[in-house]
Amino acid sequence: MATLRDLRNRIKGIRNTQQITKAMKMVAAAKLRRAQDNVINARPFAAKLRSLVSDLITEEDIALNSLLVERPVKSALVVCLTSDRGLCGAFNTNIIKEANRVIAELESQGVTPKLMCIGKKGHDNFKKEKYTIVSQFTGIFNSLNFSYVTPIMNAITAGFENGDYEKVIVVYNEFKSVIQQRIVSEQLLPVKIEKSEAGADEQFIYEPGEREIVNYLIPRNVESQVWRMLLESNASEFGARMTAMENATSNASDLIRTLRIKYNKERQAAITKEILEVVSGANALRG
Amino acid sequence: MKEFTLEILTPSKKFFSGPVTSITVPGTKGEFQVLYNHAPIISTLDIGKIKITDTEGKEQIYADGGGVIEVQHNKVLLLVNSIENVSDIDAARAKKSLERAKERLAAKKEQIDFQRAELSLRRAVNRLKLTGSYHNN
Repeated sequence: MATLRDLRNRIKGIRNTQQITKAMKMVAAAKLRRAQDNVINARPFAAKLRSLVSDLITEEDIALNSLLVERPVKSALVVCLTSDRGLCGAFNTNIIKEANRVIAELESQGVTPKLMCIGKKGHDNFKKEKYTIVSQFTGIFNSLNFSYVTPIMNAITAGFENGDYEKVIVVYNEFKSVIQQRIVSEQLLPVKIEKSEAGADEQFIYEPGEREIVNYLIPRNVESQVWRMLLESNASEFGARMTAMENATSNASDLIRTLRIKYNKERQAAITKEILEVVSGANALRG
Repeated sequence: MKEFTLEILTPSKKFFSGPVTSITVPGTKGEFQVLYNHAPIISTLDIGKIKITDTEGKEQIYADGGGVIEVQHNKVLLLVNSIENVSDIDAARAKKSLERAKERLAAKKEQIDFQRAELSLRRAVNRLKLTGSYHNN
């Protein structure tokens, strides 16, 4: 049976943990605010660029840029966007689960999966497995800025153009709201052209030329998609961490409450016992 | 002067959205002006000077970091890597990044580095030119 001192120590320990989780929640909330603004600000640019590309590019243009060409898929790159740090609930677990599902699907189609891990947690998980990890980027979420996009993008496109893989799929958390993330697996390359009905009738003047425009826009488009995905994942991470830490804090409160009640009962029992002893001792003396 | 809508977006934020009467942009093939009823055009933009005339006839000058312009049905969409008003340019900072870029170009390491350094050099020169504090020496 737990003694009074044991109980007291446990309550103290839980209270300390609670303070930490509470602080982590505050930190995540503060960072979330900024990350959220970044995502919301980055979305219009990415969306407009994407719609411009689909307006502009028709079937005949596919040959113009290597990032558009669809080849028979022998091997595919799965880009797994996780966080660098833990303590954010099921955030990374869900991504890894989805990545595994995508990998299994590819394998069932006879496609060799290759992996790229962005974020330490995904890399920690997948390095234990048999898949080829083409490259990994860790520690970028500490100070996320646009300069990280270029190396990532270069790594992705270089392999695609060399024929290491014929398809690139990104698995990431899309930021829906503070308490909600949506796991998305999206094809990044070859760039998918959405058919737009209205776009084709307009005769544009192209400067300097259609080819140059396409060759300029396609990589920019991929770049801005990658950037948006990084931001989405980053904001989702803080959202997930905030929720996880909030749950942890309230769990700690619950635990403290039950322990408190137990402690008070114990204490009362001890006092009652002591009084009983004193009284019965006095009675015995009185004879 | 008839007005049309202009929207300027950068990867980090929506920079501007509203009616204007004229915009002059540094197209890759040369500077050109867009007025009401301009023919549909898509053009890439160089690092350079963007001039916007608002509905009250006031002119604003901006420095841009390259991008693309789409004109269609009196809607102008400008997607630029970076843009800033000339009055907001920090000349001292631009000067510093000019020096840095020059150093990196002199070092000549890898291809990618070279490209990036050249771009940042051109951006810095553009900023300094527009603030009027660029002296080629």
